[in-house]
Amino acid sequence: MELTSALAARSYLDTRPATAPEPGGLASAAQSFAATLQESEATATAALTSGADPHSLVQALAQTELAIETAVTIRDRVVEAYQEILRMPV
Amino acid sequence: MNEFSDALGISASGLRAQATRLRYTSENIANTDTPGYRRKITSFEAHVEKGRPDGTVSSGPMRLDPSALARIHDPAHPMADEAGYYDGSNVNLLIEIADAREAQRSYEANLKIFDQTRQMSSALMDLLRR
Repeated sequence: MELTSALAARSYLDTRPATAPEPGGLASAAQSFAATLQESEATATAALTSGADPHSLVQALAQTELAIETAVTIRDRVVEAYQEILRMPV
Repeated sequence: MNEFSDALGISASGLRAQATRLRYTSENIANTDTPGYRRKITSFEAHVEKGRPDGTVSSGPMRLDPSALARIHDPAHPMADEAGYYDGSNVNLLIEIADAREAQRSYEANLKIFDQTRQMSSALMDLLRR
């Protein structure tokens, strides 16, 4: 089979859907992550400026800590998987 | 959001409720010698969100203890009546100290659960790391 540039381009287009990001999944997770961060930032600001409830501050910071930990772990795994793909002999 | 996040929120609500209880206890102790002072009490209730309890606790409205005020004999007191008696407060220090200790223990328990939840969540994420 002759390997022309047209054939290569078509195969590339055929395989693209497999690697496309799924709508929803990661994007909504990232959004809820950002929302958690924003909420804790607002709570921390309120606690330091207007003396809001310290329990809310601790709760918000703990939740942010968990969210960041989750996000960092997932990022590490994704980057690792990506590097694994890059190392694949072609 | 998830179970861990919910557990954190519920423990925090418990901490807040116990702190409110301790606040009323400290008010009562501070006002032990205030004439006519009635001790403040509050009872906890399940917090209701959108018609159903969401598992968190909140302290209910503040109420005044209706029990009788102590009659104190002190003819030199400016508020004393003809017989030399005036109305003191109905605060019993023993009860207040016991209440404060109970609040402290419950606070510690909630704090423990808060910490435990954090540790469990961290341990779960540690599984993914190498």
